[in-house]
Amino acid sequence: MFVWSVAALPVSAPAADLEVQVQGQNATAVPGAVVTVHLIGRPTPRPRPAGSYIIDQQDIQFRPFISTIPVGASVMFMNHDPVRHHVYSFAPARKFELKLASRQQNQSVQFEKAGIVPLGCNIHDRMIAYLAVVDTPWAKTADAGGRLVLRGIPAGAATISIWHPYLRAPGNSVTRVVTLADAKVHAESFIIPMRPPPRDPGTAY
Amino acid sequence: MQFRRPIGFRQLRTRLTVLYAGLFAVAMLCVASLLYGVVVHNSKAQVRQELIANGTVFDRLWGQQTSQLRGAAGLLARDFGFRAAVATNDRNTIESALANLRQRVGLRTAFIVDVSGNVTGLANAREAREASALSTRLDEGVTAGVATLGGQAHKIVAAPIMAPALTGWVVFAAELDRHEMRGLERLSAIPLRAAVYQRRDDGNWIGADESTRGPDAAMSHFIQMNWRQSRPAEIDRPGGLTIALAKPLPAVPGAPPAVLLLQYPMRLALGPYRPLEIAIAVIGVLGLVLVVAATWRMARSITLPISLLDAAAEKLADGQLASVPVNSRDELGRLAATFNRMSADILEREQRITHLAFNDPLTGLPNRAGFNQHLDHQLRLVERRGGQVALLCIDLDNFKAINDTLGHPTGDELLRRIAARLGEGLGDVFIARLGGDEFVLVRPFDGETNAVDDLARRALAVIEPAIHVGEHVLDNKASIGIAIAPADGTNNNNLLRSADLALYKAKEAGRGTYRFFEESMNALAQARRTLEIDLRQALANGEFELHYQPLFHLAADHVGGFEALLRWKHPARGYISPVEFIPIAEETGLIVQIGSWVIQEACHQAARWPEHIRIAVNVSSIQLQRPGLGHVVLQALQNSDLRPDRLEIEITESVFLDHSDQTLQLLHTLRGLGVRIALDDFGTGYSSLSYLQSFPFDKIKIDRSFVVALQSRPGASAIVKAIIDLANALGMETTAEGVEEDNQLAILQKQGATSIQGFLFSKPLPADEATRLLKDKLKLRAA
Repeated sequence: MFVWSVAALPVSAPAADLEVQVQGQNATAVPGAVVTVHLIGRPTPRPRPAGSYIIDQQDIQFRPFISTIPVGASVMFMNHDPVRHHVYSFAPARKFELKLASRQQNQSVQFEKAGIVPLGCNIHDRMIAYLAVVDTPWAKTADAGGRLVLRGIPAGAATISIWHPYLRAPGNSVTRVVTLADAKVHAESFIIPMRPPPRDPGTAY
Repeated sequence: MQFRRPIGFRQLRTRLTVLYAGLFAVAMLCVASLLYGVVVHNSKAQVRQELIANGTVFDRLWGQQTSQLRGAAGLLARDFGFRAAVATNDRNTIESALANLRQRVGLRTAFIVDVSGNVTGLANAREAREASALSTRLDEGVTAGVATLGGQAHKIVAAPIMAPALTGWVVFAAELDRHEMRGLERLSAIPLRAAVYQRRDDGNWIGADESTRGPDAAMSHFIQMNWRQSRPAEIDRPGGLTIALAKPLPAVPGAPPAVLLLQYPMRLALGPYRPLEIAIAVIGVLGLVLVVAATWRMARSITLPISLLDAAAEKLADGQLASVPVNSRDELGRLAATFNRMSADILEREQRITHLAFNDPLTGLPNRAGFNQHLDHQLRLVERRGGQVALLCIDLDNFKAINDTLGHPTGDELLRRIAARLGEGLGDVFIARLGGDEFVLVRPFDGETNAVDDLARRALAVIEPAIHVGEHVLDNKASIGIAIAPADGTNNNNLLRSADLALYKAKEAGRGTYRFFEESMNALAQARRTLEIDLRQALANGEFELHYQPLFHLAADHVGGFEALLRWKHPARGYISPVEFIPIAEETGLIVQIGSWVIQEACHQAARWPEHIRIAVNVSSIQLQRPGLGHVVLQALQNSDLRPDRLEIEITESVFLDHSDQTLQLLHTLRGLGVRIALDDFGTGYSSLSYLQSFPFDKIKIDRSFVVALQSRPGASAIVKAIIDLANALGMETTAEGVEEDNQLAILQKQGATSIQGFLFSKPLPADEATRLLKDKLKLRAA
């Protein structure tokens, strides 16, 4: 459960909307794919964190599995389980460890650098979640149908990046350069190679 | 036991031994080969099972090792600090952790590959490159298998490092080298050999430890053929037949396939049976030795008696007395006993046969065969050593008469007595009986023939004394012919013939005496033989003719008849004297045919003469003995139509010596026909008045010796007178033979002879002259 908000964007130039569809190679939707857009030839404005970002631990799972947060945002880790969790990240973007007692819901971590931050629990190997810390205001996680819409992107050249932990590509990411026209809804469709999800991360393989 | 005789054994014993030893050896070979076959079969089966079992053990081991390694890798991969080090790429920490891990697990090679293919923990660049290539496979989910690292087959086990997302892999690589394999081999119950083979790009399978030895084509081929089936199979290795199992190992995809090859040489599998094989071989050899020894021994117990029998039979075949010891009561013992009996019987029989063959059963003296043998031996001695041998042929003068008149038993008894006397009386002389009354003496001597003379005289003297046989008293006289070897013959036949001729001469000389052979006798004998041959031809060739000598009837003063006298006109020699050929004709029996011709011819001739002329024909005792004389006479009378009383048969007294009964009967029959019977040569020989009494002769012919003596001997006239008177008294006529002079005639006339015959009146004449005489010269004094 989290609230995602991009409110109060400065409207200074003509803008376009981007509809993105992400599919696997067998035309199945890829939910949770993180789509980010960076402008080309112009500075991409920094996003402004707004609201609170929450990652729940419930039923020995992180929820959501994949989250997209702007740089500088703080994420609240809320343990709903009756067991302890030891949330950690070795990601270069943000290393941390949080030892959460059972039902402890008051720990938060601020993410100052953009990048993918895999989250694990040192107690429960099964638990894994990904935080995409983005440095662009135009980033979103695809819905259950693998779709998302990004609005108000200034026209012009831009790169669209797709990231997903199972995407079979260097950095688990693919990138496409597009030119967005003014006042238009731009639709991009991505078909990406996917790895099968690990059956039981940490023990499998 | 005669097979096709593949090998000729001189001894039954060898044959038996070889046979039994061979059979035993064959049986042992069969057992041994069967046993070997079973052992090999079982060993193979056992080895196969062992290989399969070891394959399974290996599988399990492989799995255990894999999970063990994976556990170790996973432990590290999950270590928070290690993950932190990996995530933060803290190389020093990672290296130290890996070193720690290597030490803990005991592996040389442990390294880390991250998702990007970066390798940490491998110093070797080539290995690092290969390890980097592995990351793709690991990423695909393969976490164990055989892969090549630094050119060597390695077992790879990897564990992912989740930090918390997949960051890389902790990889263990165990080299599948000899060391590793030895560990596996040690786990097996049997000493098998394990090796890992990998297939190279060129298709050859190369062993992990073969790089230094070079490829093994045969093994490579074997693996290629068998690795998929994963079943034990046989392969010929330099060390002998080997059973091998090629078991595919799970390979990392993309890496060359690899197999675990388990080998087990049969030599080793059969090793435990080696003592058994040796034991069987030893038992076989011992058994063979025992069989040979036992057979040899047993065969000896069988063949020794047989050998003895064999030798004895050989001896027996040579005519010696042979016997074998009887040691047992089995068949061989009985055979030996039977053989001994048989051998004795044979010899006894042989002796009896020999005795019979060479001895005369009647007298016990050697027979002709014995004589021949002895004489032959003596002659050969003479030939070799010189000296002389006398052969004396003894013939009893009157034996035939005795045999005929007194019967064979008497004759035989006489022969036995004579034989006994000779044996007792002559001392050291070889005596044999050749048959009948023919005895021979053989005696070697040197120089003087006086000794032989003496022997002959002694023989005659020994024989001479009268012998009593039953109620008979027999006087004996013998004639002896003597031949001396080598002068009179150098072989049995010659010598015997010479002695026979001498004997003949002795008989001629008046019996009761002996004669030595002379060469002239031989010539005479030759002449006789020639004459005999000619005589056989004479009758057919018509060489005989009859001459007739008139019998002058004194009272009637005319010719009263003729005596038919046989003449032989030999085509080459002219007339031959009857004295010469009649004995031959009698000996050969030709006299019968000649005699019947004479009777017929005489009757024919007489029939042409006047009624009062009689014809007298001489009949020999031989003719009287043979059947058919009566028939001949009857036929001659019928054919000539001559009145029977004109025919006069003249016989001599000697006819009564032989077969007197038959002869008398025949004479009576003839006389019954009317034929007249005259007794010829009366007064000579065995003249006995009893003859005159026993047969009613019609005429007595007074022998010429009395007539000749009429003038010279004073008593002769009286004898003639007595004969004539006797005849007259018996109602018989008389004819005086051989009257040649007038005063003889005068005396005979005065004494009352019925007729005379002789040169005084006429010599014998041919038929036509006789006929003319009848016409011209009827009177005695007419001439």
